[in-house]
Amino acid sequence: MARYLLLRLGDAIPTLFLVLTLVFIAMRILPGDPALAALGDAALPEQLAEFRERMGLNVPLWQQYFNFLGGVLTLDFGRSLLSNTPVLTLIAQNLPYTIELTLAAMAMGIVAGIPMGVLAATNRNKLPDTGVRLFSLIGYAIPDFFLGALLLITFALNLGWFPINGAGTDFASRMHHIFLPALTLAFVKAAFLGRLTRTSLLEVLGKDYVRTARAKGAREKRVIYNHGLRNAMLPITTGLGLSLLSTLSGSVAVELVFNRPGIGRLLIDAIAQRDYAVIQGGVLVFAVFVVLINLLMDLVYVVVDPRVRVS
Amino acid sequence: MALNRRSFLELAAATTALTAIGVQASHAQDADTLRIGIAANGPRHSDPNLTTQGSDNWATEQMYEQLVRPDDGRFALKPEEYLPTLATEWTQSGDAKSWTFKLREGVQFHRNYGEMTSEDVVFSFERAIKEGTNRTILSNIESVVATGPYEIAITLKQPDVNLLGTSIFNNNTSIVSKKAYEEIGGEAFATDAVGTGPYELVQFDPEFGTRLKRHEGYWGDKAKIANVECVYIADTTARTLALLSGNVDIIEAVRAPGWIDSILQRDPTLKIDMTTPGSFNTLHINLTRKPFDNLLVRQALMHAIDRPAVAAALAPMGGVMAGLQPDFFPAGFKTEDLPAELQYPYDPEKSKALLAEAGFPNGISFDSLCSQREDYSSTMLIVQELIRPAGFNMNLIIGDHTAYHADNRSDKNTLAMHSSSYPPIPTQIYFQQLASASEVKADGSGGGNYSHYGVAMPGIDDLLNQALTASDYETYLDLCKQIELQVLRDLPLIGLSTLGFTAVRSAKVDLGYEVESGYARWRFHRATKTV
Repeated sequence: MARYLLLRLGDAIPTLFLVLTLVFIAMRILPGDPALAALGDAALPEQLAEFRERMGLNVPLWQQYFNFLGGVLTLDFGRSLLSNTPVLTLIAQNLPYTIELTLAAMAMGIVAGIPMGVLAATNRNKLPDTGVRLFSLIGYAIPDFFLGALLLITFALNLGWFPINGAGTDFASRMHHIFLPALTLAFVKAAFLGRLTRTSLLEVLGKDYVRTARAKGAREKRVIYNHGLRNAMLPITTGLGLSLLSTLSGSVAVELVFNRPGIGRLLIDAIAQRDYAVIQGGVLVFAVFVVLINLLMDLVYVVVDPRVRVS
Repeated sequence: MALNRRSFLELAAATTALTAIGVQASHAQDADTLRIGIAANGPRHSDPNLTTQGSDNWATEQMYEQLVRPDDGRFALKPEEYLPTLATEWTQSGDAKSWTFKLREGVQFHRNYGEMTSEDVVFSFERAIKEGTNRTILSNIESVVATGPYEIAITLKQPDVNLLGTSIFNNNTSIVSKKAYEEIGGEAFATDAVGTGPYELVQFDPEFGTRLKRHEGYWGDKAKIANVECVYIADTTARTLALLSGNVDIIEAVRAPGWIDSILQRDPTLKIDMTTPGSFNTLHINLTRKPFDNLLVRQALMHAIDRPAVAAALAPMGGVMAGLQPDFFPAGFKTEDLPAELQYPYDPEKSKALLAEAGFPNGISFDSLCSQREDYSSTMLIVQELIRPAGFNMNLIIGDHTAYHADNRSDKNTLAMHSSSYPPIPTQIYFQQLASASEVKADGSGGGNYSHYGVAMPGIDDLLNQALTASDYETYLDLCKQIELQVLRDLPLIGLSTLGFTAVRSAKVDLGYEVESGYARWRFHRATKTV
């Protein structure tokens, strides 16, 4: 198992290298001058020139690239061009908020989505099934930022039940602040997982061994959960992995709407201001997460389905 | 402990329920805290010598002071309108090159960093000259010398009759504590500077914003509200909702047509604070691009733009510019005071006739770049519609704000809108946008003269140099007025409108004064709040 993990991590290195290279190139191709963005459009030529020199933007591109790669290898992502804060500090300050939001949204999505899928599959073509399918349709159709604004206006502005922005300080306050943003992200998760669970479970419930279990007199609950849902978990696990990744990317819009700190909001601001160092650091964090989540999913397969073995 | 399906679901349900029963009220407000929602993602600096993000100055405005300041809520239109602040009196030599300032005694720095003396003032000026973000303007200062514990002398390289406006009332030359800088260290000082203002820094949080508290040792009237929090909320909807819900007391407004009306519809009790003029929205005409090298075409364009209509569309934030200065600024003209041929009233028929005379009876078509930022795009879309009937078919290419400025700086635009805030020091806009020394360059190394004025055709360099070296204020003003007229004759740059900086305030907050003009931030030390 350990060898398998090491091999998979080794495979990730070229991927991360490629991501870093692509981000580096993409940012340099994008029109826009970080010096002008940092100093403002009234900046004089000599101020701009001095800024570029100070930030190492006046050296040839290949040199900037190798400086950047060298920095990454020593975990030095440089400093923000705008605030001069080390990128690692910015990431360390923002990452916990994004992780917290992602986990809360996933928990809500699983709690709502999987039972809904079971309910729909066990009541096929009846009212609960129609209801779940309708919910899934709506869940897929509503964009995160729109739903977020809707929830914000209803529950924070009009009813005053939740804070309008920020992330809170102590545990209770953080949970209070996270509810609406997490619910926004969880909505589409629940829709996706509900639909996926329904489809997978329906397929499993039609198998011979399920018929056999029923013929042997097993109780319906046992048939559904022990024989049905357990065997349907493999595609659901894949779905969970994909869902986790989309929650991470969805957090960008939600962090903006709810004015929560996080890697997404940090990246959006950095892209608008052409803060190269922060963009590169932020994208690397996302890339590492994608690699780790994929790896985690591979490991979960082994646990969920004993037929899958590490080869 | 094994985590089975049931316990997993129970745990997840408990987590969900816990998040739903938060205990903190969302309207946690008290009369002793003023919260302002700022239109940016997070603070970058609290050192007044380093701020480049305009929004950060909401906090620095509360924490730092200069030797002189205008009264709250307005610009000083003339040198005599500056009020003693950290200096109690000052004198200038006849040639406007030597200035002395007598400092206020007993001024205490925040956090017990002691009394302000001439040593701190000299240190602050030297730091601004060597390391500040506004070194070009301060480069005229030859030396700043302490001539006593409470007196300094400033010697200039060239006369500056506007020294109080250009260099003394300047964010960079805010007075900071030398002792604090040495103790805290230069890098940490960037987010932990120590000044003398009515509020002092409590917390600088790059995610949340800045928290300030009343400076109990302040030399003047102490701030009425004990705490100020600058909360950064970049998203317009989130910021608006924060104000409407009572989460913040003041927000920076969105400077787009109709926005003020829409928020007042939602809550008519809200108060609008606005500076006039705010930004100067100008339109550079690239003199190196045909047919705009032809004066007749530029005159046709001027007659095709209904400038009062542009200002009216941006109401109540918009203001008319007859030239490049608002009419109440020292070198500004009212339209009716200009010579008839330089008034350029809106007249599409005359515009068409001028275009025909220039050899374009069927009009002209051209591309123009524009920023997607709301103040740029709304203004340029209005201009596009206004000039179309006269025969100007402008294809607007709207793009990212940062890329737009980079393109302008690389001489890629034909009609380039520019929006900047200027104090009542006319030469600043002339130098930045019209001087040949500021000519834009294709490689990006040039400045903000996107018209190539003074290079593609004779400009205002001689008049500007005379103004910049004038030793009396009346001569300076007279030369600036000559520049205004020259620019209106040559038309390298059109003053489209002014656009006031605006903040929306809860009726529960009284600022203690009226906001009339000034930079895009104002002080809260006289504010009161009722709950």
